Amino acid sequence: MSKRKSRETHMTSGECVSQVQRILRERFCHQGLPEKPVGLDSQYKHLLELLKRTAVHGESNSILIVGPRGTGKTMLLSCVLRELMDINEVQKNLLQVYLNGLLQTDDRIALREITRQLNLENVVGDKVFGSFAENLGFLLEALRKGDRGSSQPVLFVLDEFDLFAHHKNQTLLYNLLDVSQSAQAPVAVVGLTCRLDVLELLEKRVKSRFSHRQILVASSLTFGQYLDNVRSQLSLPQDFPDARFGQEWNDSVAKLCEDKSVEEILQKQFNSSKDFRSLHLLLLLALSRVNVSSPTLRAVDLLEASRLCTVDAKANMLHGLSILELCLIISMKHLNDIYDGEPFNFQMVHNEYKKFIQRKSNSVHNYEKPVILKAFEHLLQLELIKLVDGSSSKTQREYQLVRLLLDHGQIMEALQRYPQCPTDVKQWAVSSLA
Amino acid sequence: MDLQATTSSVSKGCFVFKPSGKKRKRSIGKYICLANSDDRENGKQRFAICQRLWGKIKGDTEALQDELNKKILDSLLEFSRKWASSFQCKPDDWASHMRANEIPTAALVLGVNVPDHDMTLQSLSDLLQSSVTPFVVSVQAKECAALKHLMQRVFERLMGVGITVDEEDEEESSHCNTAVHQKRVHCSMNTLCQWYKSVTKKYSAVSPDEKRSVLNKDALPNPPVVVIFKDLEGFNPRVLQDFILICSRYTQELPLMFIFGIATSPSTIQNMLPHSVSSLLCIQLFQSLSCTQHLATVIDKLLLTHHFPFKLSGKVLQVLVSIFLYHDFSVRNFIKGLQLALLEHFHSQALSVLCCEKKEALLSAQTLSHQDVERIRQLPSFMRYVESQEPQEQVELLTSDERVKETCEKLLKNLRKYHKNYYPVLRCLHSLTSALPKYPLGKQIRELYVSCLEKNVWESSEYGSAMQLLRMLAKDELVAALQKCTDVLEQCKAKKMKRASQQLKEYISKFEKLDRHSAGDNTAEDFTSPEKSLQKKTDLFHLQKTLLEMKESRRTKKMSPFEVLRNEVLDFISSLVRTHLALPDEQPLHEVSYFSSSAVLRHHLNATPRNSIQTALSHPYRYLQNEALKTDAGTVSSAAPDICIVYKLHLECGRLINLYDWLEAYSTVVSAAEGKDPESADYGKVDELKHARFIQAVSELEFLGFVKSTKQKTDHVARLTWGGC
Amino acid sequence: MPVQLQHSGYSAEKLQSLTESLPCREAQASTLLALMGEPDQYSYPSIFIYGHRASGKSYVTLRVLKELELPHAAVSCVECVSPGLLFEQVLLSLFGHTAASSLPRCPSLSDFVRLYKQLCSQNPAKQTRYIVLDRAELLRDMEVNLLPGFLRLQELVDDNVTVILLSEIVWDKFRPNTGLFEPLLLHFPDYTKAELQKILARDSHPSYPQELYSFYINILLGVFYSVCRDLRELRHLAALNFPKFCEPLENGEAKESDTHKLWRNIEPHLKKAMQTVYLREISSVQWEQQQEMMEKEAMAPKGLSAYTHVELPYYSKFLLIAAYLASYNPARTDRRFFLKHHGKMKKTNFLKKHEKTSNHLLGPKPFPLDRLLAIFYSVVDSRVAPTASVFSQISSLVTLQLLTLVGHDDQLDSPKYKCAVSLDFICAISRTVSFDIVRYLYDFL
Repeated sequence: MSKRKSRETHMTSGECVSQVQRILRERFCHQGLPEKPVGLDSQYKHLLELLKRTAVHGESNSILIVGPRGTGKTMLLSCVLRELMDINEVQKNLLQVYLNGLLQTDDRIALREITRQLNLENVVGDKVFGSFAENLGFLLEALRKGDRGSSQPVLFVLDEFDLFAHHKNQTLLYNLLDVSQSAQAPVAVVGLTCRLDVLELLEKRVKSRFSHRQILVASSLTFGQYLDNVRSQLSLPQDFPDARFGQEWNDSVAKLCEDKSVEEILQKQFNSSKDFRSLHLLLLLALSRVNVSSPTLRAVDLLEASRLCTVDAKANMLHGLSILELCLIISMKHLNDIYDGEPFNFQMVHNEYKKFIQRKSNSVHNYEKPVILKAFEHLLQLELIKLVDGSSSKTQREYQLVRLLLDHGQIMEALQRYPQCPTDVKQWAVSSLA
Repeated sequence: MDLQATTSSVSKGCFVFKPSGKKRKRSIGKYICLANSDDRENGKQRFAICQRLWGKIKGDTEALQDELNKKILDSLLEFSRKWASSFQCKPDDWASHMRANEIPTAALVLGVNVPDHDMTLQSLSDLLQSSVTPFVVSVQAKECAALKHLMQRVFERLMGVGITVDEEDEEESSHCNTAVHQKRVHCSMNTLCQWYKSVTKKYSAVSPDEKRSVLNKDALPNPPVVVIFKDLEGFNPRVLQDFILICSRYTQELPLMFIFGIATSPSTIQNMLPHSVSSLLCIQLFQSLSCTQHLATVIDKLLLTHHFPFKLSGKVLQVLVSIFLYHDFSVRNFIKGLQLALLEHFHSQALSVLCCEKKEALLSAQTLSHQDVERIRQLPSFMRYVESQEPQEQVELLTSDERVKETCEKLLKNLRKYHKNYYPVLRCLHSLTSALPKYPLGKQIRELYVSCLEKNVWESSEYGSAMQLLRMLAKDELVAALQKCTDVLEQCKAKKMKRASQQLKEYISKFEKLDRHSAGDNTAEDFTSPEKSLQKKTDLFHLQKTLLEMKESRRTKKMSPFEVLRNEVLDFISSLVRTHLALPDEQPLHEVSYFSSSAVLRHHLNATPRNSIQTALSHPYRYLQNEALKTDAGTVSSAAPDICIVYKLHLECGRLINLYDWLEAYSTVVSAAEGKDPESADYGKVDELKHARFIQAVSELEFLGFVKSTKQKTDHVARLTWGGC
Repeated sequence: MPVQLQHSGYSAEKLQSLTESLPCREAQASTLLALMGEPDQYSYPSIFIYGHRASGKSYVTLRVLKELELPHAAVSCVECVSPGLLFEQVLLSLFGHTAASSLPRCPSLSDFVRLYKQLCSQNPAKQTRYIVLDRAELLRDMEVNLLPGFLRLQELVDDNVTVILLSEIVWDKFRPNTGLFEPLLLHFPDYTKAELQKILARDSHPSYPQELYSFYINILLGVFYSVCRDLRELRHLAALNFPKFCEPLENGEAKESDTHKLWRNIEPHLKKAMQTVYLREISSVQWEQQQEMMEKEAMAPKGLSAYTHVELPYYSKFLLIAAYLASYNPARTDRRFFLKHHGKMKKTNFLKKHEKTSNHLLGPKPFPLDRLLAIFYSVVDSRVAPTASVFSQISSLVTLQLLTLVGHDDQLDSPKYKCAVSLDFICAISRTVSFDIVRYLYDFL
């Protein structure tokens, strides 16, 4: 309903806020495309050039877009395609096939997918093909039987490219790249991957057919640019229905970005990782705190958000343990100190615990062994401790070897934050003697 | 080797399984007839008798089984009924609402005698099906390797989706076929729920009288679904956990109920399930009665009765019992042993035609063939009997068959009487002695029985001490014991026993009278006082002491009327014992009904394959009966078969055997057998023939599992046996 | 009064009822709501909610989705024996039966995604669709592409869908080495003691006053809080022991006012309950039965593990004993223990304790069959023929899980075993055959 309202230029703050939410969420969650990819201009040009050649002049090509997760590989590609599609001859000419390593887990599935996306199911019907190559060839052939003499150019986008390299003797890759080499049909193969060593995965015959074009998408932003980016990400477009509110919002955002504390946070974020997705996550968290009662984005929101992002999960879990389980963890810690990091079993832990109880019987109730064993199992379930691979399920549980997956610091922190933790236990934790 | 040989067959549980009774019986007939083809007739008859007896025994034991399991089964039924009803009307009282979505679980502890379990569980599921719910599934560990399989089994058996083997195979191998499709749909829990809804609707739809046919009268609108895990120990904990987790999410729609069949102890549940899972169960414990009790009842009902003419001698009984106690706790195997004994008896003992019900026996006694009469004359017991007769009578017996037949009838009657009296007296002796400290005559009646079969009880020292202890019993104890005896004797119809019980009654009444006069009679008290001290059962040593001092007192003072009476009673009892508990071997014609060849039984039931192989190898004479092979212990003649020589040689080697040395030694021995003179050049030299024979022998040894080829050392083989046993 | 949940885009009364149904979880609920945004707005592709058992993860999530009538599919991964089931259930609850049935056999993720796309193109989302995957840690054990796939499902199917993963395990344990789409992490902290008190007090017994019950809960927490913070468990315990608590009131020994008396009455009882009830060793039903029993003769309730005794055949006992000795004694000490006259074995070199820790700390060691038999023959008093049934007893002990067969069971020669029973157990066994096992154990020399 708010859509209809938004025609008018003036809205209640509530509607404005929800508008803001809608727009920004579009960006953060659904990776709404920016008008221009930030700090990737050269890559952008390069890719655009390449694809244009395929789309317009129908020459085959293959290229890899490599970069860590969340740095905007997909974004780059789709920006390029967006521009490409504005050229109307391309629009009616170029065919696109999207494959994803997560979905098309083997070549049979992949081929079916290709057929579908080129919508040639009816053409193929229930033909049976000897080989993959034959099948693919047929498909491309079928495309040629278009209205025009020369066949339509096809753009193959392979997301999670590295996963395709794990298919049985890389048939798909081989054939695609082979086609892209031999000019039987104009195809462009664009692979996206986060593995920089992806070429090592390719078989020799596949590798040799790949034009070693790579676009490295590693954002080389300075913090300044990063900050600008944040601002642009947060600020509303000019055509925001309620101009006044839009203006206010943008001003507030601008102010926000000057704010010292905010800058710190962003600095921290920047240092940890420059990629956009983590940034989006942060911003979304902040944004989610914006509502009618507080219609602007405040520094505290961002602070809160960053706190949420950087919280230590294990410490959180430790906080939820019972005293008994905590005691067990401590005795494990001691065991780790004694047999520097050697795996241990329940019997030993129980021993340590018993020793402690004998010394400080008053502080903690002395539980029977089965109760303790249950506590131990719970820790195992929470994967705070882990079975050593060797120890099979056949051995009694008391004797299965385990490792502690917590470090000294985490345990100590947890102890500090623990509600009404007995002092004896704390002392025991710090004491060197087991 | 042995281990492996047995493992395969005992994957189910403890014990070597013999071929099923049915298969054996078919062969019996031939077995017995062929045994002595001279008179088939008699053989056939015996076979018939044997069959009949076995049928009787079998029936009785089965009845016994059910009767023994009755208690626990009933309690289980009770349990399931309770829950079933609680499923009907979700009781909205506070407590039950607080414990929603627990799955009721019966932990049924059955003991380690795994072979007996199936029977129990089967009857359990039948009972449930007939009286509580039509939806009973029982699953075994070995068919549920993964969660998928477990669910499949459960679903199949519930919804009756017949899935043939080949489909399953496909399911294992390929990924897409109709079978899989079907199953995938089936295997989701909510499809099961839907199925359940539809089915229950159907049940509630059908008219009551129809319903009676489906379920029984107290059929519930939505009966519980019972899953029986036959052998909990065998299950993979992960699978079980997941299954329980899944089920617990559907407790509202689907009234589920588990029954765990546990062989060892309930604590295994704790070992298998983590807290998060076990907290979803509402476990209730059911302990089946121990198999020793079970055995006791079986013996009591089958052996300690005159209803079965067929008897076991002491030795045989001991063999069977010891197999039970030492090796398996399996009652089923015990009964199988009994069956074997029966079979053996009827096979080996031609006169077993007389081993049957009274009338029949007498009949066949009249129609004995001459040969049989001769056999009778051969019987040692009969001979003894003859000797005991007057000379003229003896002549009669040795000459005229008719005479023999008559006497035979008479003797059979006697034997029967003997048994009629034997068991009551035995029981009453047991009831007297079983309460004594340290059980001089054994706690279980079977022990007493065995000792009675072995030799005359009253001559044994145990009996003496028992009597002594009895002589020290205080009145109330004694009276109680006597009361028991009378009850025992009451039950049997034999005249003698009737009389005996009468007498005992009189004694008891006397005691009471005595009680009445000697109220306030001080003499009685100061005698009873030391006896009172005996009522609390003290150690033997202490008893002896008190006994002594009482002897003292007896010497000094005259006995109290109570003591007099007590002695009388005990004398009476011992007279009973002497008259009726005489050795069966002394009874003429006892061979007819007593099976005594324990060696055969042991040989069959408790086989020692390893030993027999080894004897065969180390003492070939035992089997080949060839004089040339006869040697003194330890050595093997060089004329023995190759494998024996090779075996002997290999015994002297260590863990690893050098093949070449072995061959050398072998050829030396063999050439000694060829009788070449040791000086000749080619003495002990290896030629192709010897080599071939050696190789063959070694490979035979390997086949028997004594050696195996090893990678540790070139041209060596490893020994698989330890010691030179 | 808890803080009122508020969020534009949802009717106040719905939120109101929601607030009431989520005691002590307002904070988490509101965060969740805020992240979800208004129904027609985009939400983050995947949210990962972690926290301890019974900290209200699934409860809160599902309440919110149900109360606000948002289109959602809730699946527990335990049930999904195959990914096919998972897909089926998701489609079923998002698009109805026909959709689910149109899945091919043994569907792959790509089939799922294709179908999903095609379905939501038929009826495009007006509201965010939610897929809630409970016990998400199990996704790791299924096909490798499943978890990453679901995390970026929004992108794959290009629909306004959000996948919510619930788990007790921290996210770090999910990350494969190649990395994947990072979800939005949300932690549900455990309830504080006060909160537990508050929640437990809610389900008070109808026939008793509220404050009495909360007092009772207070005592209960005093005993159990240190060992168990699982709301479900505590509720169970509370329910079971309440009748006992009320007894003095029932038979007029005490009034609701004299709290101390009540406390003294219940406190030791609860301590006892820790052993049996907390471990679920006896069922709630039996517990109640045993209450009556304990009135009569003052015996502690027996748990399952109280019945550890196992009746075994005579030789099986000795075999088990031998196995125990074999797996807890070093092989070199056998001569010393089992040879009648073990020559001149110097006490020193025999008793060299170079092992830091005793074998009862390290656990049983595997031993070959022949060692077992050798020890067996030397400990068993009578002469035993190596009959088939002796060997079969060994394998039956394995099936009873008292012994475990180490390594492959296909190696015919010299199989290796381990003894899998506790010291107490074996002591009990050896007592029945009057065999003093402790004298033969290296650790207790």
